[in-house]
Amino acid sequence: MTPSAAISINNLHKTFADNEVLKGVSLSANQGDVVSILGSSGSGKSTLLRCINLLEVPTSGQISVNGEELNLKKDRHGDLEPVDPKQISRIRSRLSMVFQSFNLWSHMTILENIIEAPVHVLKKPKAQAIEDAMELLNKVGIAEKADAYPGELSGGQQQRVAIARALAMEPDAMLFDEPTSALDPELVNEVLQVMRQLAEEGRTMIVVTHEMGFAREVSDYVIFLHEGRIEEQGPPDQVFERPESERFKQFLSSGL
Amino acid sequence: MFEYLSYGDTGFGDELLAGTLLTLELALVSLAVGIFLGLITAAAKLSQNRFYRTLAHLYTEVVRGIPEMLVVLVVFFGASVLIQIVATWFDYNEYIEVNAFVAGVFALGLVFGAFSSEVFRGAFLAVPKGQLEAAVACGMSNWQVFHRIRLPQMWRFAIPGLGNLWMVLLKDTSLISIIALDELLRWSKVAAETSKQPFTFYIAAAAIYLFLTILSDLVRNYFEAKANRGIAPHA
Repeated sequence: MTPSAAISINNLHKTFADNEVLKGVSLSANQGDVVSILGSSGSGKSTLLRCINLLEVPTSGQISVNGEELNLKKDRHGDLEPVDPKQISRIRSRLSMVFQSFNLWSHMTILENIIEAPVHVLKKPKAQAIEDAMELLNKVGIAEKADAYPGELSGGQQQRVAIARALAMEPDAMLFDEPTSALDPELVNEVLQVMRQLAEEGRTMIVVTHEMGFAREVSDYVIFLHEGRIEEQGPPDQVFERPESERFKQFLSSGL
Repeated sequence: MFEYLSYGDTGFGDELLAGTLLTLELALVSLAVGIFLGLITAAAKLSQNRFYRTLAHLYTEVVRGIPEMLVVLVVFFGASVLIQIVATWFDYNEYIEVNAFVAGVFALGLVFGAFSSEVFRGAFLAVPKGQLEAAVACGMSNWQVFHRIRLPQMWRFAIPGLGNLWMVLLKDTSLISIIALDELLRWSKVAAETSKQPFTFYIAAAAIYLFLTILSDLVRNYFEAKANRGIAPHA
């Protein structure tokens, strides 16, 4: 683990009931890196991402964020559990997540969605939060919808709002869980556009995706997961031009 | 026949009005008690703690399985026996009468709480899991997730069911007439017997109950629209 690692994962295992979904995965992302995680469904890629902010608690392994190791201990069943809820909450607030199904809070307007966590978790003054939120909405090109409700927006617009909501936390790193998979094809680009822009700004991003073009052009590092193990990894030029793993070659040729 | 319904000494209009107001008062206070009981019971049913879950299910099963009128009688006479026993501990042996309104509120609240706990339980579970996860992922505490995200959204799933239960509650207030509370039905009965005009007064009472339920529907529509604000009907 280098001191500049924004996120570092060591030998992560996760078992659901009898199903071992992650079989010892290690990865690290430096400050400003964009890491893409590829893999077919069931490969464990979403689980890996969800372990980073403990939406899933790993069965074993270590996770560090900005050099701070998540404090996990074995419970009486031998599974890990967080020791200090405050630490988990603090680290979660430093890692924003963007979900496949947007998960905007449907009882709040777009603006309320964005200021909710800054005001209630980061304790930012409301006026400041609103000012920052409007700036972010401008950035993702959706400021005119500030007073609309999520249900009144298209999927692409909702996902851009979700990205703005994630940015409002001023996170150290952002986790994207298949952010374009639930979108109609014609709406995918508007979301990828925003993500490209974030990558150019030097944001640390871990992206689980099926968008090969994005992974290839935007990532600094690509990881291919298969049945809970890393099958192929490296800079995009290397893995896409000269893949070593047969499975990854198949995966690429299947066009997914 | 309308002279019987006139307001003042010659008719029973003022008595019916007083009865209507008492009926409404009884129903509204019982609603508040019932919602409180229902929320707590729903929370107990969803709790990790097995003891709370068992207790909640026991309460629901027992109260839902007994006719409402029996619940009213058991509460009224049970309470008076209990109070008498407690009073003797303090060497007080005079007869203490249980207030019919309080007993009525308690009985109706108990019934509403048992039925509404299932409505609330379903409504809490209907809040999309992803939205709760999004809140957790922002670093919100369990309490914040509950009262900022889950509770406010729960209402839009609960209101249709609660609306139904409210209608039942409003009509069940008439059961409290058996413990001599002067609500709408009891006044109607008194008026019917005194005037020998049962049809007139029972029809009048029916019309008043109908008026109240129609009014309730309008109020429910308002709350339903409010809870669903910004949410597409298909969502």
